[in-house]
Amino acid sequence: MGSAHSVPAEMRELADRTGFTSEQIEHLHRRFKQLSQDQLTIRKENFDSIPDLEFNPIRGKIVHAFFDKRNLRQESDGLADEINFEDFLTIMSYFRPIEMNMDEEQLERFRKEKLKFLFHMYDSDHDGKITLQEYRNVVEELLSGNPHLEKESARSIADGAMMEAASICVGQMGPDQVYEGITFEDFLKMWQGIDIETKMHVRFLNVDTIAHCY
Amino acid sequence: MGGRGPPRPAAPRLPAPALLPLLAALAAGAAEARATSEGQLPGAAAMGTGTPPSPSGTAFEETRLHVFTLDYPHVQIPFEITLWILLASLAKIGFHLYHKLPSIVPESCLLILVGLLLGGIIFGAEEKSPPVMNSDVFFLYLLPPIVLDAGYFMPTRLFFENFGTIFWYAVVGTLWNAIGIGISLYGICQISAFGLTDITLLQNLLFGSLISAVDPVAVLAVFENIHVNEQLYILVFGESLLNDAITVVLYNLFKSFCQMRTIKVIDIFAGIANFFIVGIGGVLIGILLGFVAAFTTRFTHKIRVIEPLFVFLYSYLSYITAEMFHLSGIMAITACAMTMNKYVEENVSQKSYTTIKYFMKMLSSVSETLIFIFMGVSTVGKNHEWNWAFVSFTLLFCLIWRALGVFVLTQIINVFRTIPLTFKDQFIIAYGGLRGAICFSLVFLLPPAVFPRKKLFITAVIVVIFFTVFIQLSAKPANQNNEFTFIIIVFYFSSQGITIRPLVEFLDVKRSNKKQPAVSEEIYNRFFDHVKTGIEDVCGHWGHNFWRDKFKKFDNKYLRRLLIRENQPKSSIVSLYKKLEIKHAIEMAESGMISKVPSSVSLRGLITFNYVSSTDVLTNLQQCGGKHVQHIGHHAFQAVTVAFPFQTMSYNRHSLAADASEKQAKEILIRRRHSLRESLRKTNSLSRERPAAANTKRFLSLPKNTKLPEKLRVRNKTSSRVGDSSDSELDAATTVLNLRPRAGKILRDQRLRQQRPLPEFRVEWKNEVDGSQDGRGEQQDPSTLTQPSIGFRQPLLTRPRFGTLSREDLTADHGSARPMPPPRLVREASQGDRQRNKPENQLY
Repeated sequence: MGSAHSVPAEMRELADRTGFTSEQIEHLHRRFKQLSQDQLTIRKENFDSIPDLEFNPIRGKIVHAFFDKRNLRQESDGLADEINFEDFLTIMSYFRPIEMNMDEEQLERFRKEKLKFLFHMYDSDHDGKITLQEYRNVVEELLSGNPHLEKESARSIADGAMMEAASICVGQMGPDQVYEGITFEDFLKMWQGIDIETKMHVRFLNVDTIAHCY
Repeated sequence: MGGRGPPRPAAPRLPAPALLPLLAALAAGAAEARATSEGQLPGAAAMGTGTPPSPSGTAFEETRLHVFTLDYPHVQIPFEITLWILLASLAKIGFHLYHKLPSIVPESCLLILVGLLLGGIIFGAEEKSPPVMNSDVFFLYLLPPIVLDAGYFMPTRLFFENFGTIFWYAVVGTLWNAIGIGISLYGICQISAFGLTDITLLQNLLFGSLISAVDPVAVLAVFENIHVNEQLYILVFGESLLNDAITVVLYNLFKSFCQMRTIKVIDIFAGIANFFIVGIGGVLIGILLGFVAAFTTRFTHKIRVIEPLFVFLYSYLSYITAEMFHLSGIMAITACAMTMNKYVEENVSQKSYTTIKYFMKMLSSVSETLIFIFMGVSTVGKNHEWNWAFVSFTLLFCLIWRALGVFVLTQIINVFRTIPLTFKDQFIIAYGGLRGAICFSLVFLLPPAVFPRKKLFITAVIVVIFFTVFIQLSAKPANQNNEFTFIIIVFYFSSQGITIRPLVEFLDVKRSNKKQPAVSEEIYNRFFDHVKTGIEDVCGHWGHNFWRDKFKKFDNKYLRRLLIRENQPKSSIVSLYKKLEIKHAIEMAESGMISKVPSSVSLRGLITFNYVSSTDVLTNLQQCGGKHVQHIGHHAFQAVTVAFPFQTMSYNRHSLAADASEKQAKEILIRRRHSLRESLRKTNSLSRERPAAANTKRFLSLPKNTKLPEKLRVRNKTSSRVGDSSDSELDAATTVLNLRPRAGKILRDQRLRQQRPLPEFRVEWKNEVDGSQDGRGEQQDPSTLTQPSIGFRQPLLTRPRFGTLSREDLTADHGSARPMPPPRLVREASQGDRQRNKPENQLY
């Protein structure tokens, strides 16, 4: 898999596409190789080797997101079986911090992309809507780290959150209106107050590649 | 929050100046009183027209019983303190009476103005300097509440996310400012034309260190008003909190250097070591006491009334303990508040929590007010020495060094920040370096023996404060010979306090959008955290998120188990959800109480939900029966609220009777949760099967303002006495007995009605009052459309938004927010879907 790494042109292309610096790409590539055990692609099982991820309550969703074709900017839908380094970078690029020289339009696009990524994590059946059931699943998963919590409360929380969503997105619901699910537009609306572009980022420098993998 | 909300809607538009004379008179009265009492010997203490106390020196003279005595000295101190606080609070009210004023001029400026005015009056009346703010009073009593409040409500997460930057600004920035200002002022002092050559370098450095303290009080006062975005706010505010440590150290260091003859290198190192001890020691004391406080509240569930006290006692203890060891009290109390906040919140009852919140806000806003007024008062007087050069150069250097410092430091820190600070941000940070009461008090603490030019320092500090806090306004003696006349020179300088708001607007700095906390937001945030941590794990990197995750786990595993009573670690989502629910329920109850003619919903809600168990109330209800349902309801409601407390409440100093509203809230809550779930489930399942059937939803949940027949309501209550306390009141045996068959009938009925458009519906709606008298008998009749209300669960949360404020709730009661306004609905229903094939089991 040295090809992408050794050829500077290819690397530059990657850097252009994903917005990472070549240094970051190098870091990530090292990490990628570690995860894939020097294979060209990563499969789902490879993620099992990350010890810290095990305790993440939404681990499934996170791993899933890596293989979600919607996130990989391929127009197609569905799940990929394996991803290569470029895909890996693409996923990682959702977590790039904003840059100083971005103009309003770029920022807006940036923000939308990030939100789209999150949206896809919620929308597990790929129908462009977060239904109540999906919402409940997410909340249940979130609270799954807590053994004392019964499912009931998770559900009622999800219900409450859904009501909020409905009130934010539809405003005053008409008498016979049924809120079917959160569409992406609604999702955008709900996140309006949160500076996602300043929050959704991970620092890719100083990636310690040795410590956390076996 | 707290006392800060201007009482806009109802307040008469009385311009603030109208109130000022009153306040001035009050203050003058107090001052005069003090003057007279101070002037006299403590023994002979009579004032005004009171009976003169008999000189008790001679043994012969018998003391007679006085009918009326006046012993002012006996109460003097508390009396004056009370008057001052009262005055400060009244002044605050005064500003907000005229609602435009606070939006133009920051409150702190107005308060200083009031203080100046008072100072002037006292000065004129007594012909001597008005009392200056006692530094001890400031540091021991006025400052802690403000810092406590700030620390307790500090957005912890944001603080730690930006901790590096804050620390950087606070430590290096303050050092930079102090040394920069000190040295450059020393340079100015060397110019003999200014007549300042007697000020040494160390004195200048000391002055620089005290003037470079950015003041949390001033920062809070100004920044809370203008709502810059949270990041900026936390940067400036965090800096102002943290730099206390470095200011205290620098101040003490230079002060002792000034008093020393020779300074050895070791002293400098001692100073550096001292800094770490002061800062870290303060934080440790704070954290320790914070944990102790949390641990204490674990056991208070039997004696709820004293719960709030612990929060205040422990945090104050941390402050004075730290001060005792000359550690940073501000950092101690901040650390204490931040530590205990999370745990205490879960241990104490909802009421205690509210009490803590209000009390904290009240204390801090009163002290803040007092500080600013005192600053104004202390300004007027004879303790000034005016030197144009020194004062104006101080001001200049303060601004320059601050701006330079922020700029340079930001360039460095931006390399390490993922989100760099923009130029605008830097500008606001530099501009937000407000000086305030801390420098003011520190300068008064200077020992005059070592600092012959103390007065000059005072003047310079005051000018800087005033410049930074508001319109520059200073009192200048006409000449150095202490003439009693003074001129208040008002420089209409554009100054920071007033200009910062337009500036923020002009620069289009991102503002914060404060809104209600929402469950979904919390869910998103948590989700988000996990995603970020996950991604970090995937790329094998230890970042903020990594540490946060680790701390959370540690917290859940050990700390919470130790500090929180119920051993169930609760998720933040759950606790927020619970909090919101309770809040909403209380709001609902309150909105029902406030509305003059309570809408039947809230009314019924209150009555049926709450007082069910007490038969007295029921009889009350029935006695109140009159001609008008609305009326009955209203009276009944009043009767209930009045009757209830007397029934259960007995005086007990150690506990508050679990009072109506709390129970009520609980009940409402249970119901709400239930009905919410129901309605959601139903709409969901319905919509899935047949989207067109949306209309059927209205039958599942009753229109909000359908009126309930009085008799039925009572009957229902009596019957459901058992079931009512349980979660699913209608499944309880007694109720079901009554209602099931009826419900079925109604259902059928409605479906029938659905089939044929019934024009008479609207009419029926109007005289439903009459119809309702008939009670059960009329169920078959379409006119009693309202009947189903018993049969079906009424979702309390029919209006979708439930985190909103009661004001909206109030207005929302009539119409808009209500999802199902009945009359229209009926009409629509009749035109709507006419399918019959609705399976019954969907509904049960």
